[in-house]
Amino acid sequence: MSRAMTIAGREWRAYFLSTSGYVITALFALFAGLFFVRYAFANGQVASMRPVFASGTWILAFIAPAITMRLLSEEFRMHTYETLITAPVRHGDIIVGKYLGAMGLLIIMLAPTLVFMVLLERYGRPDYGEVACGYLGLLLAGSAYVASGLFVSTLTSSQPVSFLVTMFFWITIGLGTKELPAMVPDWLATFVYAADPELRLRDFTIGLIDSSNVVYFVAITAFFLIASMQSLAARKWPS
Amino acid sequence: MIEAIGLTKRYGPVLAVNDLDFEVPAGRVTGLLGPNGAGKSTTIRMIVGSLTPTRGRLNVNGFDVQNQSLRARRCIGYLPENTPLYDEMRVIEYLRYRGRLFGMRRKYRTLAIEQVLRRCWLEDVRRRPISQLSKGYRQRVGLAAALLHKPPVLILDEPTTGLDPSQIRETRSLIRELAGEHTVLLSSHILPEVERTCDAIIMIARGEIRAEGTLDELRQRSARHTRYEIETDGENARQAIIKVAGVASVDEDRLNDRWRRLLVTADINARDLREPMARALASIGSLARSLRRLDASLEQLFVEVVGDTDTVVKHAEDGSTKESKTPKRQEVNA
Repeated sequence: MSRAMTIAGREWRAYFLSTSGYVITALFALFAGLFFVRYAFANGQVASMRPVFASGTWILAFIAPAITMRLLSEEFRMHTYETLITAPVRHGDIIVGKYLGAMGLLIIMLAPTLVFMVLLERYGRPDYGEVACGYLGLLLAGSAYVASGLFVSTLTSSQPVSFLVTMFFWITIGLGTKELPAMVPDWLATFVYAADPELRLRDFTIGLIDSSNVVYFVAITAFFLIASMQSLAARKWPS
Repeated sequence: MIEAIGLTKRYGPVLAVNDLDFEVPAGRVTGLLGPNGAGKSTTIRMIVGSLTPTRGRLNVNGFDVQNQSLRARRCIGYLPENTPLYDEMRVIEYLRYRGRLFGMRRKYRTLAIEQVLRRCWLEDVRRRPISQLSKGYRQRVGLAAALLHKPPVLILDEPTTGLDPSQIRETRSLIRELAGEHTVLLSSHILPEVERTCDAIIMIARGEIRAEGTLDELRQRSARHTRYEIETDGENARQAIIKVAGVASVDEDRLNDRWRRLLVTADINARDLREPMARALASIGSLARSLRRLDASLEQLFVEVVGDTDTVVKHAEDGSTKESKTPKRQEVNA
């Protein structure tokens, strides 16, 4: 576990030693700020972060791939993967380390949105329980998106490919779960609705922690982390 | 120290390494020599555990590379080809990171980092970002990282590629220095490089071992056919020399109207032929302005075992390598 933390620490610092960490944080602050100003911070609106959190799955569809695209793709491309895998570390250490490093950036990225709280507090009376619940939902959703992006980055040494595949995967899921139910029989539509990340996140934004929603995001995270380990173990070419 | 038994690697239909058996004994510098594409990097990657063999067994320091992978990896310091490093990190940060990956405790790690910084002449650049370092310095950082956990086995893949002559000299002397404490396996496609750094050589070509042994053993092997060079003025010198007992073949080169150069290849295990050849020339009244025995070179052996068509680098004057197509040479095989 200490090795995973070592890898996570290096990964997390690498975001801020290059420009990518700052750019990603700034972009997220921009998107979240736009949603906040347009839908939440206006006369007659409830003092709530709901619009920001509810847009979370769509913002994450762009931001999460930007966070994860470099995780292993960069190591493959720069051949540093060979120095990593010849150290006494397990595939699990690498994957968990990379995942935690990316989640570290995700948490930093959410920090500027706390400014919204100050504004809401100044002009209204926000419900802190609901807000905390929203952040939890965003973190859980973020975790699922990051894990999927990590898996994609174990498959390619190209960062653009890694970015695009992850992004289109979540856009397809997002749009598919909206459009598909109308076209399939009712019994199938139930399953499609169940797979919609936006609906899952919406419950959190209204202050509802439904265990099925938690299980949904945790299961996706676990699935992709295990798949990532398998993907590294199956690599025949070192780089 | 390193032991390979029936080591084989297949990439789809391509057989990269075929049934290698070799042993790298402790405390020596062993060179893995072969032309580009011979399977050197593949072999090295299997030893360090970044590539799984299709067949065969590998032991490093008594640990099976596949079944005791973590323990085997702990015994190895590895410098991959072209020294991949994290450019955004500082030298000291990178070394700390490597130390943690190898599970070194803080106090021991700090001490070890100072040692390798000194040993690899990196003290001036310890706070420098790696991206700002020259190729030679990067190489030293890679080497420092490989030495950090004091591995009994050190594996260097083409350690001098891309370095300038003085850097090559430095690297070479550092490797020689390390030989006392570590078992070193280095790969190279440059023969003089290996000849100057290594105690023993494993020559491979097309994924197979073609020759192996200490430098002396290999020199002796290549000395089976001693060769002589004579410069003489006699019209019939060639006929006279070929009659000398022990001479296998003579090639003649005209230098100008008067002088010609004879290249004589002796029979296997023939005695010293200089005196009988000088007498033979004297007996037909020819003058010999030069008559010398050519030193047995590994180059001959290398050319012989590597084959005719592979591109090999035979000459290197401290980095200024010259690639040449090996000519078909029958006198080697005679």
